[in-house]
Amino acid sequence: MRRHLLGVAALTVAVVLAIAALGELITRVSGEGGERPAAAVIAGVATPEAGEAIFWGKGKCSTCHAVGGRGGAVRGPDQGATGPLGQPIGLRAEARARERSRATGRPWTAADYLVESLLDPGAYVVAGYKNEMPNPLRPPIRLAPDEVRAAIVYLQSLGGTPDPAAIALPPGLAAQARAAAAEEWRAYVAGDAKKGERLFFDADGSAGCGRCHRVGARGGDVGPELTHIAGTRDARFIVESILEPSKVIASGYETVLIVTKDERHVTGIVRRESAAAVEVADSQGRIQRVATRDVRRRAPQAISTMPGNFGEILTVEEFHDVLAYVLALR
Amino acid sequence: MRPPARRQPRRGRCWGGAGLLALAVVLAAGAAAADAPPAIGAEYRTFYGASARLAVWVVAEIHLMLGAFVLGVPIVASILEIVGWRTGEARWDRLARELTGLLAAAFSTTAAFGGLLVFTLIGLYPRFMAFLTSVFHETYYAYALLFLAEGFTLYLYHYGWDRMRGRWKGLHVALGVLLNLWGTALMLIANAWVSWMMAPTGVERDTLRVVGTTWQAVANPLWIPLAIHRVLANVAFAGFVVGAYAAVGFLCARREAARAHYDWMGYVGNFVGLAALIPLPFAGYYLGREIYSASAVMGNNMMGGAFSWAFILQAVLIGILFVGGNYYLWIGMGRIGGAERYQPWIKYVNLVLLVSFAVWLTPRNIPLTGEEQASLGGQFHPLLKYFGLMAAKNAAVSFIILSTFFSFLLYRRGNKGRRRPFAEQGRASGLALGAGALVALAIPLWYARALLMLDPASLDLAAAQAGYFRLPAYLLLGQAALVPVSLVLTLRDRGPLAQGLVFAWTTLAAVFVLGVYGFVVMEKANPFLRHLAVAQWLMVLGCLLWNTLLDVLVFRGAAVAGAIRWGRMPARAQYTLVLLCVTIVMLMGLMGFIRSGLREDWHVYGVLQDTSPWAWTPTTAYMTRVVGAIVLGFLGLVSLVFWLAAPRAADDDGEAPA
Repeated sequence: MRRHLLGVAALTVAVVLAIAALGELITRVSGEGGERPAAAVIAGVATPEAGEAIFWGKGKCSTCHAVGGRGGAVRGPDQGATGPLGQPIGLRAEARARERSRATGRPWTAADYLVESLLDPGAYVVAGYKNEMPNPLRPPIRLAPDEVRAAIVYLQSLGGTPDPAAIALPPGLAAQARAAAAEEWRAYVAGDAKKGERLFFDADGSAGCGRCHRVGARGGDVGPELTHIAGTRDARFIVESILEPSKVIASGYETVLIVTKDERHVTGIVRRESAAAVEVADSQGRIQRVATRDVRRRAPQAISTMPGNFGEILTVEEFHDVLAYVLALR
Repeated sequence: MRPPARRQPRRGRCWGGAGLLALAVVLAAGAAAADAPPAIGAEYRTFYGASARLAVWVVAEIHLMLGAFVLGVPIVASILEIVGWRTGEARWDRLARELTGLLAAAFSTTAAFGGLLVFTLIGLYPRFMAFLTSVFHETYYAYALLFLAEGFTLYLYHYGWDRMRGRWKGLHVALGVLLNLWGTALMLIANAWVSWMMAPTGVERDTLRVVGTTWQAVANPLWIPLAIHRVLANVAFAGFVVGAYAAVGFLCARREAARAHYDWMGYVGNFVGLAALIPLPFAGYYLGREIYSASAVMGNNMMGGAFSWAFILQAVLIGILFVGGNYYLWIGMGRIGGAERYQPWIKYVNLVLLVSFAVWLTPRNIPLTGEEQASLGGQFHPLLKYFGLMAAKNAAVSFIILSTFFSFLLYRRGNKGRRRPFAEQGRASGLALGAGALVALAIPLWYARALLMLDPASLDLAAAQAGYFRLPAYLLLGQAALVPVSLVLTLRDRGPLAQGLVFAWTTLAAVFVLGVYGFVVMEKANPFLRHLAVAQWLMVLGCLLWNTLLDVLVFRGAAVAGAIRWGRMPARAQYTLVLLCVTIVMLMGLMGFIRSGLREDWHVYGVLQDTSPWAWTPTTAYMTRVVGAIVLGFLGLVSLVFWLAAPRAADDDGEAPA
């Protein structure tokens, strides 16, 4: 009896482990990542690369459209060279624009056709396909106007030339985007200021803000002092400064690139300067001294010395903990 | 298997005490770890510093699995009791009673996990729960009352078994039916909440404000499809769990009579599981279609996006269920005198099952390296790419269902000898045959008419493309025409020929002709593919219903070619039943993940966004790890509950069926 009970238990565990192993195999074979964010984030830049991320990610375009040999969806037209008319969408849009001109009696550009295809997909449905494409501006996809623009640039790049300037989104969309941007920012996770303080001053931690920023008597002097930052800046600005430090660089903290005569590249914020030498603080708060006579070239940079990858290296909870601490600095 | 009855309560108390102690330790540790002050008005909270989503996932899944058992078993028990009542065979009544004993023990555990689920949701997702409550609070009171009614009826049903015998048996049967009514009503209310989260109705499109009534929210487009899918899944789940219970009983039984009893119980469990499993793909397709209709984004994500690999895994698990269920039937034929006549067929059925599953499992698109693409000649394999498409999968699943049904027919007629002439069977058989023929006629005729009247514009197709609707309509008409033919053949005592004709036509039309035609439709009139699949599955369903009735009537009163030797089953058959149980529990966990995960980062799809740190879609690996742990936890819990319930069932220690 005991032998059979053990046998049943062993079989049960073996089946569960086998299925779990199959799950592991699927993830490895299919190339699924670790934690896949449900929404892809782009920096508001309409590049083909950003549009590609939208097409294959947040926009969910790839669940219906393949691009030549990439993807296997058949519900919507293939956007590659194996699609309708035997042309990729970047080229095909020209022919479609001519069709739309004839049908509507007004001039259409290829970019106009692509805008219409995304924002009013039912206006023209490719023969053999059902009018079932959802409006990507609406939930649950809910693309921002910049993301729509990027997706169109990506489609232009498929066989054609990307031309962001040719994309004319309906005027209402821009207003909508501005209104969304004007909404008051608020944290969606209640951060723990105590934990945030520990993270802020932990020199070996993933945040380690205190290496460069001073709060009261604690911290470094490379970046701006933050003792009363929440009293002078709003939450949205602080969030942006953490996640996109290059967007607005505080006066006096601009980055410079120094190229020495022996081809060394030193990047950082100038902390002290004399006739004999320049002292530059790098992104880790380390000071490097360069003799003036060794400087071959010195150029201001548009990118902040502060690392721009906090969105990736901090967990959402850690970010909100740090934020809660900073927002308490009044 | 069981320890002496008098020792068990003590051991049960020990376990209960140990459990409470463990819970207290966990809570104390959690409280010590949570040094932060409570977040008043927070939208999300962590579970003692751990993921709230994971906590809710585990509790909800265990509650759902217990709920599936508690809702599925009464359906089976009630049917068994009615069979026993009408046929006068006491073994059915005994089995129904034994199942109800398990049910009574599982009920309180289900309720406890239901309460835990509510508390975790309120504690960890307060904003979402406040929103859901604002829409559904009126249903909460009905839910609580129905729960009370179900509990009361269950205990009355269970403890009133002995008192309500003889002339009171009808009342007891009515109590069983009432129990199922309460249970179904409870499930419908809970389904309304979760289906509304996927397809919210009564929401203003522009402002995303809820402006509808409670009833509008309840009667959302996924409510009924989900209910149908869940009822069938619950019955299949209950059947296979009962099968595993019987398998363990069989393996541990010391007496021949007990072995015979558990063998028969295992057979009934497997039969119930397979019988409910057969229509499940139809119900799944209906649900999937409605999900797609409710949101094309969600529908596409389900079959072609982040969840497509989960569906490959689902196909593997369903494959294990069908092949395992058939394997058990085939082993079972060894205990039936006369069944050796049909053994040669089994290798062909096996071949069909394996080939069909290979097709069903074939993914359309997998990531390949440049080197792999070069050796394959492109992203897709020149032949296998076709097996990845829906047309091939519809044909494959139809073939699997027909093959399983064929296995069952072979099993049924294993010990049947010379048939009785139909004319001797009496008026009731004639009436049943006539009524069955009307149903078998109505199904294909109804849908053939619908296809012939279908407006191509409703599918965004041109008028000329209506021609693609005709072939499936004509095949449905052909199947309808076979109904009177098979009726006449049956009346003339050529029943097996009638069955064979219906079977052959359905296989040829639904699997081969429409299977290949599906590719044509995908190429030329893609939106029509969904209607083609419905035509295929209605043909299969019609074949199953009509053929079952013919089989029952044709072999009614037939001579017995050999006895069924209950209890003469090898241990591997019992391990197969355990495998089926573990697989369906795993499958239920997987499907729960898919249904819930389809909403991605939305609590209520498109209305209330999930902005918590856990709003990401897990990988298949993560999902199988979590679901695997839940399955082990659930099976451990159920084993404990069954063990505690065992003293009552041990009174008679099982008896051999007649």
